[in-house]
Amino acid sequence: MLEIRSARKTFYKGQPDEKVALDNLDLTLATGEFGVVIGSNGAGKSTMLNAISGALPLDSGQILINGDDVTHIPVHKRATRIARVFQDPMLGTAASMTVAENMLLAELRSKKRTLARGLNAKRLADYRERLSMLGLGLENRLDTRVELLSGGQRQSLSLIMAVGGSPDLLLLDEHTAALDPHTADLVMGATIRAVEALKLTTLMVTHNMQHAVDYGDTVIMLDAGKVRLRISGSEKTHITVADLVAHFAVKSDHMLLGA
Amino acid sequence: MDLIQSIFTSYVALIPVTLAQSLILAFVVLGIMIPFRTLQFPDLTSEGAFPLGGCICGIMIAAGANPALAIAAALCAGFLAGCCTAFIHLRFRIHTLLAGILMMTMLYSINLRIMGKSNLSVFGSPTVYEWAPFVTPGFPVSKIIIAGLIGAAVFIILNLFFKTEKGTALRAVGANPAMAEAQGISVWTATIGGVGLASAFSATGGALMVQSQGFADVNMGLGILINGLAALMIGEAIVGKKSVARQLLAPFVGAIVYYQLVSLCLAAGMPPPDLKLATGLFVLAMLALPSLKRSRGGAPARETIRE
Repeated sequence: MLEIRSARKTFYKGQPDEKVALDNLDLTLATGEFGVVIGSNGAGKSTMLNAISGALPLDSGQILINGDDVTHIPVHKRATRIARVFQDPMLGTAASMTVAENMLLAELRSKKRTLARGLNAKRLADYRERLSMLGLGLENRLDTRVELLSGGQRQSLSLIMAVGGSPDLLLLDEHTAALDPHTADLVMGATIRAVEALKLTTLMVTHNMQHAVDYGDTVIMLDAGKVRLRISGSEKTHITVADLVAHFAVKSDHMLLGA
Repeated sequence: MDLIQSIFTSYVALIPVTLAQSLILAFVVLGIMIPFRTLQFPDLTSEGAFPLGGCICGIMIAAGANPALAIAAALCAGFLAGCCTAFIHLRFRIHTLLAGILMMTMLYSINLRIMGKSNLSVFGSPTVYEWAPFVTPGFPVSKIIIAGLIGAAVFIILNLFFKTEKGTALRAVGANPAMAEAQGISVWTATIGGVGLASAFSATGGALMVQSQGFADVNMGLGILINGLAALMIGEAIVGKKSVARQLLAPFVGAIVYYQLVSLCLAAGMPPPDLKLATGLFVLAMLALPSLKRSRGGAPARETIRE
């Protein structure tokens, strides 16, 4: 379970271009709930995700994961409970390291790293099996450096790395936005399968209204650093893209295009 | 013809001495490679850590300490120096290069304080080279054996270490610090430990050098960095850097080849004062090559480094 309690974050405080990114934001996501976050540019989506992951310290407020206050815990310690897939495929993987080494790093996210050999036969077999679920042939490229993979393959790898080890919270930061439509569908499909199979508590940021309609249990709309709208339950099942778009005060091209 | 023959003769006579020297300096090259390549942290500390190791070793063996103990002490001091550089960078967000310059400048005074004077002769004191089996002490062969054995041991241990869980995490910090952090790796611990380890090797090189040459000098680190970089470039050109083992082998191969080349140049009559200019131009050429190969237009910087 994720709880954000009156989170506040102001950028450039006291300067002419002061910007309140999170304005006493409150948000609760139940265990196993899949929340989709939408909102126009500058609504505070990325700030919220960065605050949850620990990359950005809050000015005030609290963040709790499964009831534990993690507000002052640094990124690398929070990582034992949170997994994240970034928008940029480059960010989520170590380019100069191999596919298997990246999988190893992810596997060790919530474990104590020892002086034992990292890539043993048992692990390699496990990685091969997990990667084969993607159907991209990555299971045969365990020794390939990640920099040689395409953006879609890298992002799929990031996803498999993130969902492994069943994190308490999965953060998806527009993770299909940088991909071509076909690959985006592929990665999205794999995401949904993994989230449902593992019953992960998930927070996904997207600009794609169709995704917000199709996936997730709850739609959360942010505006000016606050939750403006929260749609769940049967209301969520019946919502359409047009309904969502109507809620935007400013309609950007992105949203008018629907997909 | 006579000229070539005399050059060749004087070069061949120097091969064993040069080889011994290069095996010792390979530790410094290793100390430059680890931060530069595995942590993307260009580190200048070695220019201060090398004489630091030398000064500590010098003062200890002059006082009659066990030469192996003196090397261990140098190693520890070098580790601390490297930790300080990494800490300065991480804590105060100072550029890695500037942090290194600060550290090596401060180390100069520290080295002078340690020795109490700028030069200390330890000629005749016991050294680790006397422990070489089957050879008469004092000859380059004993140095080649001892320095070579230590080097081989370090290579094997590091090669194993970088493939462990901890070692993989350390490499991840260099490959993508943000990703490493998101995977639960402490960038601080890895950077401080890694740069510390590197400087520990540089200091070890200094200690081995002092025992080899029979004196310690606060200026013995002057220019060691550019020599080390040149050696690293040569090593990487020869063995490549596509795998952990190759990247680790590069400093050793590079040091051996580089110092033989220097020796050849000197035997051919190149004036020693020109050596640094030649080395600098060589490193520049090696670094500039990729951007020259690409046709005109804004070539991206070759090295991506942490700021």
